[in-house]
Amino acid sequence: MIKYWKYILIAIILLLGVLFPFYAGAYQQSIARTVLIYLVLAISWDMLLRSGQLSFGMAGLFGIGSYASVLLLLRLGASPMLSILGAGLVAFVVAALLGILVLRLRAMYFAITTLAIGEIFRIIIRNWSSFTGGPEGAILPNIIFDGDPVLSYWLVLGLALLAIVLSVIFQKTRIYFALTAIRNNEVVAKSSGINIFKYLVIVFAITSALQGMAGGVFAQTYGFVTPESSFSADYILLPIAMALLGGIYGTLGPIIGTVLLGVLAEYLKLYIPYGHLIVYGIIIICIIMFMPQGIVGVVRSKIIRREVG
Amino acid sequence: MAERILKRPLYIIVGLLSAAVIVLLLFWKPTVVVYGVQRAGLYAGIALPMALILGIVHIVNLAHGEFMITAAYITYFLCNSFGMSPFAALVPVVIVMFLLGMLIFKFTIKHTLKAPELNQLILTFGLAMVLTQGLNLIATSQPRKISLDFVTSSATVGETTFGTYGFIYDLAAVLILAGLLFFLRKTKFGKAAVAVGQNPRGARIIGIDVNKIYILVFSLAIALTGIMGVLFLTSQSIFPLAGGSYTMKSFCLVAMAGMGSLPGIVFASIGLGIAESFIMSFQGYGGWSNIVFFALIIIVILIKSFKGKR
Amino acid sequence: MSKLVVKSLTRRFGGLVAVDNLDFELGNGEIVGIIGPNGAGKTTLINLISGICMPTSGSILFDDKDITLTPAHIRSRMGIGRTFQLIHPLENLSLIENIMTGFLFSQGENKKKARLRAEDLCALMNLTDTGREISQLNILEMKKMEIAHALATGPSILFLDEVMAGLNSDETKEIIKIAKKIASSHNMAIGVVEHVMGVIKELTERVIVLDSGKLIAKGVYEEVSKDPKVITAYLGGAA
Ligand SMILES: Nc1ncnc2c1ncn2[C@@H]1O[C@H](COP(=O)(O)OP(=O)(O)OP(=O)(O)O)[C@@H](O)[C@H]1O
Ligand SMILES: [Mg+2]
Repeated sequence: MIKYWKYILIAIILLLGVLFPFYAGAYQQSIARTVLIYLVLAISWDMLLRSGQLSFGMAGLFGIGSYASVLLLLRLGASPMLSILGAGLVAFVVAALLGILVLRLRAMYFAITTLAIGEIFRIIIRNWSSFTGGPEGAILPNIIFDGDPVLSYWLVLGLALLAIVLSVIFQKTRIYFALTAIRNNEVVAKSSGINIFKYLVIVFAITSALQGMAGGVFAQTYGFVTPESSFSADYILLPIAMALLGGIYGTLGPIIGTVLLGVLAEYLKLYIPYGHLIVYGIIIICIIMFMPQGIVGVVRSKIIRREVG
Repeated sequence: MAERILKRPLYIIVGLLSAAVIVLLLFWKPTVVVYGVQRAGLYAGIALPMALILGIVHIVNLAHGEFMITAAYITYFLCNSFGMSPFAALVPVVIVMFLLGMLIFKFTIKHTLKAPELNQLILTFGLAMVLTQGLNLIATSQPRKISLDFVTSSATVGETTFGTYGFIYDLAAVLILAGLLFFLRKTKFGKAAVAVGQNPRGARIIGIDVNKIYILVFSLAIALTGIMGVLFLTSQSIFPLAGGSYTMKSFCLVAMAGMGSLPGIVFASIGLGIAESFIMSFQGYGGWSNIVFFALIIIVILIKSFKGKR
Repeated sequence: MSKLVVKSLTRRFGGLVAVDNLDFELGNGEIVGIIGPNGAGKTTLINLISGICMPTSGSILFDDKDITLTPAHIRSRMGIGRTFQLIHPLENLSLIENIMTGFLFSQGENKKKARLRAEDLCALMNLTDTGREISQLNILEMKKMEIAHALATGPSILFLDEVMAGLNSDETKEIIKIAKKIASSHNMAIGVVEHVMGVIKELTERVIVLDSGKLIAKGVYEEVSKDPKVITAYLGGAA
C-alpha cells in the first residue's frame, strides 16, 4: 500500500516538475535551472561518496565540461546538444585517466588530487589562450534553443532526471553492494571478490561525466565561459552543503538538501551580496559536527525508533 | 636489511642528481636557483606546520593556506589602521593566530577526532571556506598590498643581479624547522607530543594529557602559519582566495617528504621551488609553473602505490 | 597433488619477520590445524595466502598456478576463502546482504540468485531473521555470518582464523558441527587456526606449528604436542 502511494507521489512531483514553466514566472524558472544544475552536482558527488571516496573535483569537472562544450562548438562546429554530450565524454575521459593514476591510493590523497583539478585546468586554460580564449574566456555566438527558456529548462530537468535515475540504479543493483562494501571495509570487500580499483575508476568517471554535462548545459544556456566563473568554488561548496544537509549515501537526501538550500540561496544572495557563501561553509561545519546523517538520516532513525519502541 | 641497502643508494643517487642539476643551473641560469631557493623558503615555512599537525594530531588541515592568508589580512589591518610596521605586528598576529587555532580546535576539530577521516576532511574544507568567505565579506575580493622600500633590495654577484629580500623566507623556514626540532626532541612537552603522534592510546595510558597536546600542537602550528602570513604580506599582494594553492602545495610537500617528516620538507620545497622558478624563467610560459606541484603529487602517489604492492 | 603449495614464504614488517621462510602444503579436502603462540604469524600467513598482504619473498601456488602476485579479489574468485580473526562486518549492509556479497562478486551470481543462495546458506548455519542489521547480531551470529560470508565466495580451500574465540563450549560445538558438515559435503580443504586445542584435536587430521614465523613442527596432533620444541615455544610465549 505504501509503495503504491510512493509511486503516485513521484508521478505527481514529476508532472509538476515538467509543467513548471507553464505556471511559474521567468525568474522562478531561472532559479529552478540553477537549482537543478546543483542537484546534478550534489547527487553525483554523493554517488562517489558512497564508496568512501571524497571528491572535491566538482568545480574542476564542471569547468572542464563547460569549456569542452563551448570549444567543441566554436572550434569543431559541433551542435549544442552534441557538444553537451561531448562535455560529458571529455570529463569521463579526464576522470578515468586521473582515476587510473591516483585511485590506488585513496582517502586524503584522492581528495586533495581532486581539489587540484580545477586549479590545474584553470591554469591550462589561462595559458593556452590561442585555443581556449585565455583569461577573458569565450563567448558563444548563440544560446541553445535560441534562448527559449522552456526548452532550456527541460534540458536541465532532463539532465537532473538522468542523474536521479543513475543514482537509483546505483542503489538498486550490485553496484550498491560493491560501493557500500568498499566504504565499510576494503579488506573485506577484496575478500568478497570485489575489484575495488575497477569500481572506483568507473564510478569516478561516470559521476564526473554527469558533472561535465552539467557544465556543458550551463555553458550552453548562459552562452559564455571564463576561467574564474566556470571553475568557481561555488560548485564544490554548495553541492557538498546540499548533500550533507539532506543526508548522504542515498538519492533522496541530496534532492531534499538541494531544494532547501537552493531556495535559501536566492534569499541569501539578496541579503548578503558579498560572501554569502560563508553560510554554506558554516552549514557544512555544523552538519558534520552535529548531524552527520542529515535530514533523511534523522527522520529515518526517528521512524525506526518509533517502530521498535 | 635488503630493503635498506636498496633504499640508501636510491636516496644518494637522487640527492647527487639533484645537486648536479642545481650546480648546472647555477652556471646556466643562476637567478633560477636564487629565486627557487627563496620560494622554497616560503613553501617550507607553510608546509612545516601542516606536517606538524598531520604527524601529531593526524589531521589533514585543508584550511592551512587559508589560515596563513587570514594572518596576512590581520597584519594588513594592523598596519593600515595603527600604522604599525609589519614586523612589529608579528607579535600580536602570532598571538591572535594561536588563540584562533585554539578556538577552532576546541569548537570544531576536537569533535571530529574520533569520526572517520572523511568527516575531518569535509570539516577542514568547510573551515577553509568560512575563512575565505569571511575575508571576502570583510575585506572584499580586491587585492591588497603594502609597499615597503627594502623589499626591492638587490645584490649583484658577478654579472647577475637578483632580489635579496626573498631570503627572509629561507631564514624563517630554517628558524621554524630548528625551533620545531628542538621543541620535539629536547623539551618535555615536545617529547610527549611525539609520543602522542606515534601512539595516542599508549600515550594516554602512561598519563599524557592527549587532548592538551592536540590543542596546543594545533594552535602552535596555526601560530606558525601566522608568522608566514606576516612575511607573505610584506612582499606579495593578498586576496581572499590566495590561500588555497598553498594548502595544496603544502600537502604536496608533506606527501613528498613522507607523511610527518619535517627535515624532508625542506628538500622537497627546494625541489618544488627550483622547478617552478625554472619554468618561470621562460618568458611567456611562467603561468605553467603552478602545474608542477600537481605533477609531483601524482608521481608521489604512483611511487607510494607501487611500493605498497610488494 | 597438492591444492596449495607455499614455498619459502617470507614477510617482514620493518625489522620484524612475521613469516619466516615457510614451506607448507595443503591437499585436496584435507583439514589442517595451524597453531602457535600469539604473534607466531598465523594470521599473517592467511593474509599472505589470501592476498591481503604481499610477501617479501617466496611464492604461492594454487592448483599449480603461481598466484604470488595475484590480487586478493581474484584469489577469492579462484576459490581461496577466509574468515577474519577480528570480524569487521560491512555495517551498512544487513546480515543477508553481507553474505550476498560473496555470491555476487566472487561467484558472479545475479542479485536474485545471490539472495536465494545466501538464504540457503543461512538455513544451513541456523541463522534466522536474515534481514537484520549487523548491530542486532550477537557474537555467535556474527561468527556464523563470518563463516557464511567466506563460504559464499565459493572456496575450494578455506581458512578459519580463530572462529571459536569468545564462544562458550556449546557454541563451539555448534560451529565444529558446521565445519565438519561443510568439509564433508563440499570436499573443501580447510586450514584451522585455533588456540583451543580440543577443537584442533577434534577437527583436524594433522597440524603445523609456527613460532616467530618459522615452522617448528608438523604431523599428527598427539605427536606434535609432545615435541619439546613445541612445548618450549608455548611456554616461552606464556612466560
Ligand atoms: N600490518 C602489520 N604491521 C606490522 N606488524 C604486523 C602487522 N601484522 C602483523 N604484524 C606482526 O607480525 C607478527 C605476527 O602477527 P600475526 O597476527 O600473524 O600473529 P598470530 O599468530 O595470528 O597471533 P595471534 O594468535 O595473536 O592471532 C606480530 O608480531 C605482529 O605484531
Ligand atoms: Mg592471529
